[in-house]
Amino acid sequence: MPYREKTAWLSLIAMAVTFGPYFAITASSNPEALPNLRQLGLFAVAAITQMLILGVGHLYLGRRSPQDARTPPDERDRAIMHRSIRSAYYLLIVGMILVGCVMPFHSSGWAIINAALFMIVAAELVHYSVVVFSYRRQA
Amino acid sequence: MMEGSISNRIRVLRFLNGEMSQAELGQRIGVTRQTIAAIEAGKYSPSLEAAFRIAQVFHVPLAEVFQWDAKATQGSR
Repeated sequence: MPYREKTAWLSLIAMAVTFGPYFAITASSNPEALPNLRQLGLFAVAAITQMLILGVGHLYLGRRSPQDARTPPDERDRAIMHRSIRSAYYLLIVGMILVGCVMPFHSSGWAIINAALFMIVAAELVHYSVVVFSYRRQA
Repeated sequence: MMEGSISNRIRVLRFLNGEMSQAELGQRIGVTRQTIAAIEAGKYSPSLEAAFRIAQVFHVPLAEVFQWDAKATQGSR
């Protein structure tokens, strides 16, 4: 498996195990009031855990295959990266239009914040999924 | 528009050049072994520059490495 596919899997897993529970808890507790320190704490835990998983994971993968980690991306790696970012960009733009232009008419506070976070996480999931899919099918 | 597909003889040329490995060819043209595998399998079309580099490694013209197999489309003569 190419090094860049491994790092994409790592990012997908890190996001799933941190922001999956975050959105599950958020959906069940329905935090509307601002400021909400419990919700802020929950977000901090998710973000810090994600950073730790990514940091430790990249360190582990880099030590297992130092040559691959040092190799700069070639033209196919760059093509895959451009394709994945383009896919994620469209989702992010649609999401941000909904969150920034539609939601303020009927929602407020943490509902908007969490919707924006959700769209960012969803765009990142699309981004890394396209990377994994592209490497899997050798495209 | 004319339809078709790109085929290549990289596997044969590697064999004829002392069973050159995908990793070695990749190293010589500046791409990873996985990219050479993808090109060989016809899953990824390299840039023109990479294509010329591959031909240069094997000391053959570009047309001996890559071929364009045109298919007749409906309505075309």
